[in-house]
Amino acid sequence: MEIPYTVKERKDTGLYNAKLGIWLFLASEVMLFGALFSAYILLRVGATPGTWPHGLLNVPLGTLNTIVLIVSSVTVVMAWASLKMNQFGKWRMYQAATLVCALIFLVIKSFEYHDKLTHYEVVTKEGDKHHVYDGHLVQEDKDKVVLHPSAHRLYTARAIALGFGPEPAGAHAPADHGAKGHAEKEALVTIQRSTIEHMENYGPKHHPYLAIYFTLTGLHALHVIGGALVMAFFFGPGAKMWKTDPERFTNRIEISGLFWHFVDLVWIFLFPVLYLL
Amino acid sequence: MQYSHDTHNHTHEAHDHEEMGFWTKYVFSTDHKWIGIQYGITSLLFLLFGFVLMGLMRWQLAYPGTPIPVFGPILEKMLGSAAAGGVMSADLYNSFGAMHGTIMVFLGIVPLAFAAFGNYVVPLQIGAPDMTFPRLNMASYWLYFLGGVVMVISFFLPGGAAQSGWTSYSPLATIIPTQGQTWWLLGMVLLINSSLLGAVNFLATIIQLRAPGMTWMRLPFFVWAQFVTAFLLLLAFPPLEAAGVMQLMDKLFGCSFFLPTGLIISGKVADVSGGGSPLLWQHLFWFLAHPEVYVLILPAMGIVSEILCNNIRKPIWGYKSLVYSLFAIGFLSFIVWAHHMYMTGMGTAISTFFQTTTLIISIPSVIILTVFFITLWGGSIRFNTQMLFTLAFLVMFGIGGLTGLPLGFNFVDLFLHDSYYVIAHFHYIVAPGTIFALFAGVYYWFPKATGRYMCDFWGRVHFWCSLVFMNVVFFPMFTQGIAGMSRRMYDGGVNYSQAANKGLLGALPDSAIYSNVIISIGAWMLLLAQIPFIFNFFWSMRNGRKVESDNPWDATTLEWQTPTPPPHGNFAVEPTVYRGPYEYSVPGAVRDFIPQNEIDNKGKAKAPKS
Amino acid sequence: MSLKSFHIVFMLATLALSLFLTVWAYQEFARTQVTSYLAAAICAAVTSLAVLVYGRFFLKKLKHISYQ
Ligand code: HEM
Ligand SMILES: [Cu+2]
Repeated sequence: MEIPYTVKERKDTGLYNAKLGIWLFLASEVMLFGALFSAYILLRVGATPGTWPHGLLNVPLGTLNTIVLIVSSVTVVMAWASLKMNQFGKWRMYQAATLVCALIFLVIKSFEYHDKLTHYEVVTKEGDKHHVYDGHLVQEDKDKVVLHPSAHRLYTARAIALGFGPEPAGAHAPADHGAKGHAEKEALVTIQRSTIEHMENYGPKHHPYLAIYFTLTGLHALHVIGGALVMAFFFGPGAKMWKTDPERFTNRIEISGLFWHFVDLVWIFLFPVLYLL
Repeated sequence: MQYSHDTHNHTHEAHDHEEMGFWTKYVFSTDHKWIGIQYGITSLLFLLFGFVLMGLMRWQLAYPGTPIPVFGPILEKMLGSAAAGGVMSADLYNSFGAMHGTIMVFLGIVPLAFAAFGNYVVPLQIGAPDMTFPRLNMASYWLYFLGGVVMVISFFLPGGAAQSGWTSYSPLATIIPTQGQTWWLLGMVLLINSSLLGAVNFLATIIQLRAPGMTWMRLPFFVWAQFVTAFLLLLAFPPLEAAGVMQLMDKLFGCSFFLPTGLIISGKVADVSGGGSPLLWQHLFWFLAHPEVYVLILPAMGIVSEILCNNIRKPIWGYKSLVYSLFAIGFLSFIVWAHHMYMTGMGTAISTFFQTTTLIISIPSVIILTVFFITLWGGSIRFNTQMLFTLAFLVMFGIGGLTGLPLGFNFVDLFLHDSYYVIAHFHYIVAPGTIFALFAGVYYWFPKATGRYMCDFWGRVHFWCSLVFMNVVFFPMFTQGIAGMSRRMYDGGVNYSQAANKGLLGALPDSAIYSNVIISIGAWMLLLAQIPFIFNFFWSMRNGRKVESDNPWDATTLEWQTPTPPPHGNFAVEPTVYRGPYEYSVPGAVRDFIPQNEIDNKGKAKAPKS
Repeated sequence: MSLKSFHIVFMLATLALSLFLTVWAYQEFARTQVTSYLAAAICAAVTSLAVLVYGRFFLKKLKHISYQ
C-alpha cells in the first residue's frame, strides 16, 4: 500500500502532504501564541496604572538574539535552496550554521533568565518601619543578604501597599533605602536576615509581567529546542536519505525550515512586545 | 509495512509471524480502520465510566446523605474517607461531577464521534488507501490513551480528582489545595495534543487523498461534517492549551494569571502577586468550549445524513444548503463564546454583541434540521435500528436546540444561567442527540467492520428503552431549572427547599426536589438499558447473522464498495468517482441506488443533480 | 506556500521590525539624550537598508524555485 502525494505534489492542490500538514499545524500554533498574546494584552490593560514595567529587560542582548534568529532563518532557507540546486556540501554548511545559531540563542536566553532569577525584592521591617530593597543578589549567608541595587525594577502589589509605588509618595522615598535613584546604583546594600519579612526573586511568581514573560519566552524556547533537535537529526543520521530519496529529503528540509521560520516570526513579535513597548 | 499482507485467517503454522505481527497489527497499528476501532472501544468504555460516575451521584441527589447501596462500600474501599460509611462526601461529589463532564466530553463523545467514526469511515468514503499520516494517527491514539490514564489515575490521588467542574474556573481551580486539578491540566494537555494531531491528519487526508473524480461537491455529507469539525478542533483547542499552560503556571510556580489582586483565601490574604484576571480564563475556556459543542454535534449530523438517505431511498433535499450551513456554523461558532458569560458582568455592549451572534448561529442550525425533515417527505422509510435512532435524533436535537434559544437572550439567561434548565438544554443535544446518532452509526457500519449484522431485536429493545428513559431523565430538569434549582448542588437543592416562603422567587418547590428521585430512577434504568447494546455488540461480532454482500444496506457511498472487512490499503483498485453521494431511486436506473463509482448502464451518462 | 514565499514574508516582518526599532531608538534618544540610542537608531536604519539589499540578492538567487 502506498499513500499518494508523499513526495510529489497533488495537481489540484499544488501541495505534497507534509507541506499541507505543517501549514495546518502552524495555523494551530498561531492560535496558541495568539491566545498568549491576548492574555498579555488583557493583563497589561488590567494592571494598576503606572505599574507595568518598562525597560526591565536587556535590550542590547535581546536585539543580539533577534539578529541571531534572523540570521538562522537565512541559513535555513539557503540550506534548502542548496539542496534544490543539488549542492549537498553547501547544505551541510548552512544546516550546521543554523544549529549553531539555535545554540547561541538558547545560551543568551539562559543568561537573561539567570539575570531575572538572581534579581530580588526584599521587604524588611526594622523597628516598625517597612523598607523595600531591590537588586541583584551578590552574596547570601546565614545572617545577611547583600544586594547590588538595580536601575530597573518593577512594582509589586506588596511594595505598592507599603507605599513603595512608582510615584514616590513623598515621605517614603528617602534615598537611604537604596530601592531607586541613579546615584545609589553602585553601592552595595547589606540587609540583616533577621529583619527580612519577605524575599522573592524575579521569577514568574513575582509579577504578572514576569509570568507572561517566562511563559511566552519559555514556550518559544521549547519550540526552538524542538526545531533544533529535528534539524540536528536531519544533519546527522537523517541525512542518509539524501542518497536514497533526495527529493523527499529536500522536502523534509523545507518542512523543518517552515517550522523554523514560524518560530522566528513569533520572536519578531515577542521582541518588541516584551522588550521595547 | 512488512505485515500488511496478513489476513484475518491466520493459521497456527504462521505462529512466528503472528507473534511479531501482534504488536504492529493490534497495538501500534497504523491502519486507520484499526485505529478507529481502538478509539471506538476506548471511548465507549469511557462513556460507560462517565455514566457510572453520574449513576452514583444521582443517589446522592435523590437521597442526600444516605449510604449508597452495594456500591457505597466498594467506593469506601477504593477511595477511603471520601466515601466514609458508603456516603458520598461533598468533595467526592464535586470531583465526580467535574470528571463526569470532562470524561463525557473529552474522552467519550469527541473521540467517538470524531476520531473513531472519522478514522474508520472518512478514508473509505473518499476512496483513500489510509490517512495521510498513518504514524501521526497512531501517535494521536496513544496520546489520547495516555491522557485518559492520567485522568483515571487522578481519582486515586490524595484528595481525589479535579473538583472545580469541567469548566475549571479560576480562582477556585487554582487555589484548591489538592493535586487533582494539576493532573486534570496535564491530562488535558495530552488530550489537546492528541486531537491536534487528529485534526491535522483529517484535514490533510480530505484535502489530499480524495479519489479521482471525488470533487468537493461529491463528498458525502459525513465527510464535510468531519472536515469542518477538524477545523474547529485545529483552531479552537490551542487557546485552551494556552489557558491550561497558564493555569499550570499558576498552580506549579505560583503565578497569578487568573488571580486578582487582594485575593483572600479562608480569611487570609493569599501569598500571590495578584494582578491577574479570572475573566481571562473564562474567555479562553469558552473560546474553545463553544466550538467544542459543535464538535460534539456536527459529526452526529454527518452520521444522520448518511443513514437518513440510505433508509428513505431518496437523495438529500438541499445538499448544498447543508454544506453552506455547515460553513456558516463553523465560522460563527468562533464568535459566540461569551454567551456563557452573561452573568459575569462583562458589560451590556459585549453581551448584546454575543447575544446577536448567538441568535444568528441558530439560523444555520435550523436550516440543517429543516433539510433533514424535508428530506423525509414522501420517502418510503425502512425502519431498522439505525433509522429509529436517527429519527429520534431529529426530534431530540430539535428540543435541545430550541431550548437553547431562550438562553441566548441575556435577559432570560440571567434567570436561567447555572440552573438545571441549562443542564437539560445541552444534554438533550448531546445525550439523546449525539449519542443516539453515534449508536445509529454503530448499528449502520458494524456489518462493514465485522461482516456481521447486529441483532435487530435487541437493537429495538435498546432503542425504545433508551428513548423513554432519556426523556424521563432530562425532561424534568427543564422544570427543575425554571423552578430555580441550581446545578452542582451537593444535596440536590434540599437546603433551598426549606427556606420560608415557597414560590417563584422563594424556596424551591417540593415538586422540584421530588423530581430528583424520578430522574435518578430514570438514570439507573437508562444504565440498564445499555446492557442489551453491550451484549449485542460483543455477541454479534462472532455470532451475528453474516452479511450477504459487501453492500448490505444497498448504499451509494464508497465505503460499501470495498471488501468486507476492508483489507489494509482498503481498495483492491483505486476507485474512480462519477457521481454525487446520494443517488437513490434515480429514475430509469436498474436498481434504486447507484454507487458513486459506477458509470451507469449507458456508459458515462451525466449524473443527475442531487 | 513554499519556504521561499514564507522567507519573503519573514523578511518583510524583519523590515518592519527594523523600521520600528529605528523609530523607537530615536524616540528614546529624544527623550533621554543618551547617545547610544542615537547610534542604535542609525544601526537599525542601516539594517533596514541591508534587508532590502538582501531581498534583491535572495530573489535573484532563488529565481528558479517555485513560490507555491
Ligand atoms: C442551537 C443553538 C444554540 C443556542 C442558541 C445555545 C445557547 C446556549 C447558551 C446561551 C448557553 C449558556 C447557558 C448558561 O450557562 O447560562 C448554552 C449552554 C450550553 N450549550 Fe448550548 N446552544 C445552542 C446549541 C448547542 C449545541 C448544538 C450544543 C452541542 C452539544 C450545545 C451545548 C451546550 C453546552 C454543553 C452548554 C453548557 C455548558 C456549561 O455551562 O457547562 N448547545 N447554550
Ligand atoms: Cu455556547
